[in-house]
Amino acid sequence: MNRFADHAKNPLLISSIAILALLVIGELVSPGFARGDQIVRLLTVSAILGIAAAGQNLVILGGREGIDLSIGAVISLGAVIAGNVMNGSNAAIPLAFAAACCAGFLIGVVNGLGVTYLRIPPLVMTLGMMGVIQGGLVVLSRGVPSGNAAPALMAFVSRSAFLGIPGILFVWAAIIALMALVLKRTRFGWSIYAIGSNENAAVLTGLPARRIRVLLYGLAGLFGGFTGVCVIGYTGNSFISVGDQYVLPSVIAVVIGGTSLSGGAGSYTGTALGAIALILLQSVLTTLNLEFWGRQVIFGVTLLLLMLLYGRQARLRV
Amino acid sequence: MQPILRARDISKSFGAVRALEKARLTVERGEIHALLGANGCGKSTLCKIIAGTVALDSGEVLIDGEAAALGSPRLAEEQGVALFYQELSLVPQLSLGENIFLGREPRNALGFTDRAAIQCETEALIARVAAVAGTGFTPDARVSDLSPDQRQLAEILKVLARKPKIIIFDEATATLDRRQVEVFFDILRELKAEGVSSIFISHRMDEVFAIADRITVMRNGETVAEFSAAETDRYAVVYAMVGETGAIAASVRDHEPLEGDARLVVDGVRSTRLGPVSFVAKRGEILGLGGLQGQGQKALLSGLFGAEPFHVGRVTLDDVDVTARRPADAIAHRIAYVSGDRGRDSALPGRSILENTAIASLVREKRHVIPGAQFRERFADVLTGLNTRYAGLDAPIGSLSGGNQQKVFISRWLSPAPGLLLLDDPTKGIDLGAKGDFYLLARKLADEGATVIIYSSEDSELLSLCDRVLVLNGGVITADLQGDRLTPFELTRASYGDAA
Repeated sequence: MNRFADHAKNPLLISSIAILALLVIGELVSPGFARGDQIVRLLTVSAILGIAAAGQNLVILGGREGIDLSIGAVISLGAVIAGNVMNGSNAAIPLAFAAACCAGFLIGVVNGLGVTYLRIPPLVMTLGMMGVIQGGLVVLSRGVPSGNAAPALMAFVSRSAFLGIPGILFVWAAIIALMALVLKRTRFGWSIYAIGSNENAAVLTGLPARRIRVLLYGLAGLFGGFTGVCVIGYTGNSFISVGDQYVLPSVIAVVIGGTSLSGGAGSYTGTALGAIALILLQSVLTTLNLEFWGRQVIFGVTLLLLMLLYGRQARLRV
Repeated sequence: MQPILRARDISKSFGAVRALEKARLTVERGEIHALLGANGCGKSTLCKIIAGTVALDSGEVLIDGEAAALGSPRLAEEQGVALFYQELSLVPQLSLGENIFLGREPRNALGFTDRAAIQCETEALIARVAAVAGTGFTPDARVSDLSPDQRQLAEILKVLARKPKIIIFDEATATLDRRQVEVFFDILRELKAEGVSSIFISHRMDEVFAIADRITVMRNGETVAEFSAAETDRYAVVYAMVGETGAIAASVRDHEPLEGDARLVVDGVRSTRLGPVSFVAKRGEILGLGGLQGQGQKALLSGLFGAEPFHVGRVTLDDVDVTARRPADAIAHRIAYVSGDRGRDSALPGRSILENTAIASLVREKRHVIPGAQFRERFADVLTGLNTRYAGLDAPIGSLSGGNQQKVFISRWLSPAPGLLLLDDPTKGIDLGAKGDFYLLARKLADEGATVIIYSSEDSELLSLCDRVLVLNGGVITADLQGDRLTPFELTRASYGDAA
């Protein structure tokens, strides 16, 4: 096969080029768009999406039409839990992270059990779970926003920790490194690709495919809960639908990053770049001052063009 | 009088594979004609050509003395040829009557489906099988509610409703029980009395001699013999199926019985379509599983590996209980399994050659972190030792040919070497060179102390490789061939349910 064509279809390269192109366009449309502090602000927003997309990435890599539509509701839940645990107290921040992550993990495990042992399609299972959590949140909070972020958490998300870069970006960088390490250099990572690529063959090599898949959904919930805490750090207080806006973007970031929706191929590094590209695209469109419908059209067309660039990912010959 | 069907000089190739070469078949009016031959001899292809589902390369088919245009199943049907499908052509959501008349529904004056006519004609058809149909076999019963054997009857009725001149039954009796076979034969005889001809493919020699008027035997895509059933015997038919060439191949290796004690003991294992099966195997033995396709060989292998666990029974290897509930159990006891269906059971498409080979070792060795360069070298060495041709360990598995892929999949189990190696038609679809490497490997592993159990759809493979062959029929072992008795003739005879 042609080397050049190979590289031209490399999702990492395409996402990187898209990011640069969007920065240039943004700067042309509105000078100052690509200024240092602006970029840091965009990266901070990308980090929140990117962390949510990490969970999404894992369940999609695991195959069997894996997807987690409950991630938005889990983010909301995480934010509400964190807000109520902290209630403005810095001392309660670790507890807030622990509580939100635990809740997310448990919900994810329930998703995973439904998908593997009850054989409910992931789309249906997680959509149902989304409804359950949303309803539960309404009942628990009686629809009134409650709890608020501790000052230190808000500083962590939006104020400089080192060289003008907020702490959340360091955390995100650590997550990117950790995900790459786990996926490439551990048996767990290889197992994820294996069950996503061909579950039957994976089982016949002795892999506990079901347990792995349950764990993947659990991790997706955990990342959702973690994201929820970051979200309340960003917004200051929580309302019960704060996470809804992350559902589709988390899937889109994964796809832009080159992960196959049928599972078994892709990387989190790609997803991280995809999250940045997606956030950039949204801000460029906002900067253009277009009407809502105009933004939607351009947004959709850009996504389709990006997918076209990847070409049809030929299923490899077996 | 003209024969109803005369097929002459039929040739057909699929790519480079010659499926048929100058095959012929003549069927008289009102005759039950059995078509016999080993797996892959071309009998199914010939039937598909006659039924219009496969186009012929050269040759001619005459129906009633006239050249037949058999471009499609519908054309063939219009000329009176019907093919009986094994449970493939029913729509589960529709009723029995609707299924039988699907695509040819009688219309009333307004052009709508004439339900009354369907009801009436379906009832007439059902009456013919009333004795065995069981309860609930009514025109408006939904097919999804019917039992498997009722569905088989429905398939037969569907064919009968077309009032064909020739019906092709490709292994129609495979899933029927004895009583249903009797009814099926009654239907065939009734059809015969009405002047309808049947072409009957069966792997049960008893049935062939019970029902057939004449027998055509095919071998390697050619028609090699035609018999009148009354004037021949099983011996002559089996001999025609095997041919003289087989006898020569068998003398190539000597079948010395192995010394030593049993180390694998399989005791009364049973699963859905298997058993009870008991046998023992020795260290260093290559044990073949023979017989016709689908007689439980695959179920036995996947049961031993825990992929489809046995319901009852016990398996011990070197006096350790290795009855597996899941593949991981078997793997822990150094049992390895290589499937011939690479796409379904082995390949991790899109992943690298290294991942495809090393994943099983990570599990076996309980490693959680992928080791470095030495680990890679280990697998490179194993693959090189198998004569594998590959660009690099990081190339995707799909970049390899079938034979080289299969070497990658077997390499999963080679470091360390397995104690029991299960091979499920492992050389299916791979080139001759790779097959040769594969045989050498199996022999080498056996000589080093492994027990190898192999199922193959090619008898010649079993004959040249195995020390002993167990023949399965209907899920049980019907013959244990070794020494002088391990010959093509005996193997074929045992496979076709005529074991001494």
